[in-house]
Amino acid sequence: MQNWLRVAISAASKGALIAGLMAGGIAALWLVPMPNVSHAQTSKTARTADGKPNLNGIWEALNTANWDIQDHAARMGPVVALGAAFSIPAGRGVVEGNEIPYLPEAAAKKKENSEHWLTADPEIKCYMPGVPRATYMPYPFQIVQTPQHILMAYEFAGATRTIYMNSKLKSPNDTWMGWSVGHWEGETLVVDVTSFNDQTWFDRAGNFHSDALHVVERYTPISPDALDYEVTIEDPKIFSRPWKMRMPLYRHLEKDAQLLEYQCVEFAEELLYGPLRKQKSK
Amino acid sequence: MSHRFFVTTGVVALVIVVTLVAPGNVAGQAASSTSKVAPRQAAASAKPWTPPRTPDGQPDLQGVWDYRTITPLERPKELGTKAFFTEEEAAKYEKTENQRQNRDLIDPEQGGLFYPKGGVVPYNEFWYDRGNKVAGTKRTSLIVDPPDGRLPAWTPEGQKEADLRAAAERNDQLGHPAADSWEDRPLQERCLVGLNAGPPMVPGAYNNDVQLLQISGYVVILNEMVHSARIVPLDGRPHGSVRQWRGDSVGHWEGNTLVVDTTNFRRETSLPGSSANTHLIERFTRTDANTLLYEFTVDDPTMWTRPWTAVVPMTKSDDPIYEYACHEGNYAMSGILAGARAADKAAAEAGKSGSK
Repeated sequence: MQNWLRVAISAASKGALIAGLMAGGIAALWLVPMPNVSHAQTSKTARTADGKPNLNGIWEALNTANWDIQDHAARMGPVVALGAAFSIPAGRGVVEGNEIPYLPEAAAKKKENSEHWLTADPEIKCYMPGVPRATYMPYPFQIVQTPQHILMAYEFAGATRTIYMNSKLKSPNDTWMGWSVGHWEGETLVVDVTSFNDQTWFDRAGNFHSDALHVVERYTPISPDALDYEVTIEDPKIFSRPWKMRMPLYRHLEKDAQLLEYQCVEFAEELLYGPLRKQKSK
Repeated sequence: MSHRFFVTTGVVALVIVVTLVAPGNVAGQAASSTSKVAPRQAAASAKPWTPPRTPDGQPDLQGVWDYRTITPLERPKELGTKAFFTEEEAAKYEKTENQRQNRDLIDPEQGGLFYPKGGVVPYNEFWYDRGNKVAGTKRTSLIVDPPDGRLPAWTPEGQKEADLRAAAERNDQLGHPAADSWEDRPLQERCLVGLNAGPPMVPGAYNNDVQLLQISGYVVILNEMVHSARIVPLDGRPHGSVRQWRGDSVGHWEGNTLVVDTTNFRRETSLPGSSANTHLIERFTRTDANTLLYEFTVDDPTMWTRPWTAVVPMTKSDDPIYEYACHEGNYAMSGILAGARAADKAAAEAGKSGSK
């Protein structure tokens, strides 16, 4: 609740917040007119034709969680020649309580991952990034919301996933982006994601999971142009208890905003196949 | 759609492209024709069918559509001017062609289909999920214009590229592919574009599935092959100037037909023989509850002497689109390159011992 309020404070005017609390429920926030917003923005969440909150749009996190989902100070980047331009920005973590409850062996593995980041991080190889990492990578993603299917299209690696609404369909296999089944709880899109492989990470700091990963995402509009994104991570092979991440997602407001290709395969081929290239004869 | 766990099958990709677009030797070209293309004729003769509408009034094309077919892109030469099969001829063609294309019936030592004697038949039949029926139009080719059902003549540049490609394909089939680096391999093998995902979509070896989603202002073309989502704006915006592997698509409605216009390709498209200069027009028309007529026109004056058009009827499917991880499982690329390096080494050692 406290995190929720912090997000709400940043999004709504103080007056609206107090009014909302007085009304006795968070849902009331959306019904109370906010005096400080422009005419184009109203306190009412945009709706789709079937009456659900309309999440269509191009969104992006604005944080450094892809570097490290926990609190981290700025530090020098891995390439000396790139100096200040490609070093690592500081960031407040997105993990609730800033603590990730690794089991002992998994904690050792996380440390090892971190030390071998440059050779082990699947992002570097242009592999589909998994969930929730895809959400907070420094690239936009687009939500395409229909009543039965919600498509999430991510700019990084052109990764996609479909959220099947109120579906009993099961994944036939493990996947990179998981198997997503969604439903609405009031103003919140709740997505249950399973059937992951064990190949993706949570960040460049080596935070990781197993194929037992179970992710529950909650997307809630907090203003016309921002969503609250809460994720619960459960993986009994790696963590001693479920834990949460939370962050706002912001709408791209540029005119003609568009997801472009970041077809990164060609940026990773030298790294992956370079030793197999024919050497020029001496 | 097939939920077998595919790793990338680069060689399959290459081989199937060859099947669909046999390069060169486009003999007996009919004179250029500007006649309008079949779907409208077909639509005119059929009972009128009104597509359902989305809440904002667009014709509703949504769903998963299956474009598998054994109908070839180009009409087999022996069929001459015959544009349509009768029911009997279609059944006979299916039987013969399904037999002929069955990889399990091909002995590499003897060759067969387009595999040379003593060459490589890279995948057995298990790996294929191509169509085994002729297209619902009963046409003898997917190409409907030029009227002879075959690709138009190459330009000199197109011919040069076609010759190089034919030689490279021959080397692949004989088991010594050009592979000094990954850059020598086709875009499909590198997972940069989807073999049959296009644009334009041409039926191929597997994953012949596309889902259309519609929201206000956008149509999304989601191909299973290489998880490609083309998010096409319908708001009348002009093309941007960013060149992309899959080009830059904008769309609009013409009656009940969705028209998608794509330019700004970065290099060749997924169509063998095409160039970055391709201007692609795709038309999607739902002609009944279970059929989406997909028509595309390729205008690439760098490579072909005139535009050409193909029609692919797609069939409604109840199955979902599954994740297809291509690059993530592309062991084939390491295998092809490692094989080429081993061949280099063997050749160098043979050279040394020969010079003694």
